[in-house]
Amino acid sequence: MTNVMEVKNLRVGIRHDDEDIAIVNDVSFHLNKAETLGIVGESGCGKSMMSLSLMGLLPAGVRWQSGDIVVDDLQFKNFKTRDWRNVRGKKVSMIFQEPMSSLNPVHTIGNQIVEMLLSHEDISKKVARVRALEMLKLVGIPRPENVLKEYPFQLSGGMRQRVMIAIALACNPEILIADEPTTALDVTIQAQILELMKDIQKKLKMSIVLITHDLGVVAEVCDRVIVMYAGEIVEEANVVSLFDSPKHPYTQGLMESLPDIDNEKEYLSSIPGIVPSPGNMPKGCRFAPRCPMAHERCHIEPPTFKTEDGSNVKCWLYSEDREEVKL
Amino acid sequence: MLTYIIRRLLHTVLVIFVISLIIFFSIRLTGDPVSVMFSAGEPSKEAIEEVRKNLGLDKPVYEQYFIFLKGLVTLDLGESFRSGTSVTSLILERLGATLALAFGGIVVAMAIAFPVGILSAVKRGTSIDFFGRIFSLIGISFPNFWLGIMLILVFAVHLRWLPSSGFESFSHLILPSITLGMILSGILARLVRSSMLEVMNQQYISTAKSKGISEWSVIIKHAFRNALLPTITFLGIQFGSLLGGTVIVEQVFAWPGVGRLIIDAINQRDYPVIQGGVIFLAVIMVLVNLIVDISYSFIDPRIKTGKGA
Repeated sequence: MTNVMEVKNLRVGIRHDDEDIAIVNDVSFHLNKAETLGIVGESGCGKSMMSLSLMGLLPAGVRWQSGDIVVDDLQFKNFKTRDWRNVRGKKVSMIFQEPMSSLNPVHTIGNQIVEMLLSHEDISKKVARVRALEMLKLVGIPRPENVLKEYPFQLSGGMRQRVMIAIALACNPEILIADEPTTALDVTIQAQILELMKDIQKKLKMSIVLITHDLGVVAEVCDRVIVMYAGEIVEEANVVSLFDSPKHPYTQGLMESLPDIDNEKEYLSSIPGIVPSPGNMPKGCRFAPRCPMAHERCHIEPPTFKTEDGSNVKCWLYSEDREEVKL
Repeated sequence: MLTYIIRRLLHTVLVIFVISLIIFFSIRLTGDPVSVMFSAGEPSKEAIEEVRKNLGLDKPVYEQYFIFLKGLVTLDLGESFRSGTSVTSLILERLGATLALAFGGIVVAMAIAFPVGILSAVKRGTSIDFFGRIFSLIGISFPNFWLGIMLILVFAVHLRWLPSSGFESFSHLILPSITLGMILSGILARLVRSSMLEVMNQQYISTAKSKGISEWSVIIKHAFRNALLPTITFLGIQFGSLLGGTVIVEQVFAWPGVGRLIIDAINQRDYPVIQGGVIFLAVIMVLVNLIVDISYSFIDPRIKTGKGA
């Protein structure tokens, strides 16, 4: 399997009182060709911030502190705005959580796709319009000729998300980052959109990074999963091992908080406490204060251990006789 | 769209009617116009009665109002008490100058405020933003008569580049337009900045950036176009008030505009000119607002079809 993206020791954060506070702390992972990598975690665990850094779209005030991202022969670290322009849309594309507000209300659907094509490919407007039409067909939009001339407000949320996918994939990028692409949609529409993404992935052989807090979505579409907690990766596993035997106590907690139709529990279990805020991180393991299995060693930050089924987990519970890995 | 325009025009008729009521009766509270007409000596009672009769002021007030209203419907605003010229022609005579000045002012304001406002927003928190805000503050706090006089001193008196007063050619328009535009641009730049900042936070701006298009494309095509809406509203209202409210600038530059016509008429209690002038400005104001509303639909497609976001 070829590696299309490598994230190395990425640290992203804010500067406060002359101190760098990390929101994403020392995150490393890779992405294989044509695979779907899920990134899961609670709100505020840094998954969105991490995904934005993959596109150089960090909000004002949030800075890239250290580490690097490598796609092909490009190292993103010292990129200027100009360099990013060649990555965005062409190598890496992104779709967002809110399809209702992701499209510009004052431009037609057609123009919003054409704009993407014209900025990366040396083609005429006419050709770009034909390509835009093809894209709309690809994402399964009914009466695409009309939709080309319509404005975002004339489409439903699901249709808009399809349009977003059409825009994102117009220039055939290697990587699609989908930040909670179905969270704002109805359940039935969610399934359609996920299916569509899987479908197109097969056709175009692209890799998907799917950011979500919905484990159901993960089970459905992901090949491999990264679990993030408080800005760090706590577990990395293929999707089968993750659901069969979740390793990290945090992952186990996430699994237990899923409603289960076979199991007649009176209450849904939840993980007590909330994610600590950046700048107030506990020493050692960041999950320790909320962890039911915490012990003395957890005051020291655990390294990442490799387990028998190939999962990597950042927890002392897996230290016995196991190999420490550098992700 | 057409039914919308017709509805708005009917609305306008109602507005004009209410304004005619207010203006007609309120100026009659200011005192007798005839008494200020005789400059020297005590006029005889007969002479006063004669004048009142000639001007139609001897009739009961409600009857005077109906005569005025009837004239209004037939677009006849009556004749000036002073000169006897028809009010319509007095206004039309000055309309060109007023329109030219209002347009000039707006154009100058946009030319200054759009770039300043956009840059301030894009470079928020930098020295550019700081100077942009200082500029706005200066624009807002300068008295326009002072700015006008300074401009005349520099460009007309010292450099002799431009004429100082009157309205004869394009070059006459430059200094008064700058005077009006500078003042207006202070507020306008603030408005552009704040609506740009709001728009720049929208999700679709992230989408635009994620496409890898140029930064200026994002700013102008995606952000500015959306930030224009509140700006257009403001400009429309300003344009309306520029038509009647530029008296000070008109005075400084000896500009023969409608504003001065009305002020002079008020000083002389020249009822027909006051009524006609105010009604005229009201009509213009309402029409400008209508044009502004229609122009929305060209900027924001959501409005054309009458659907919300």
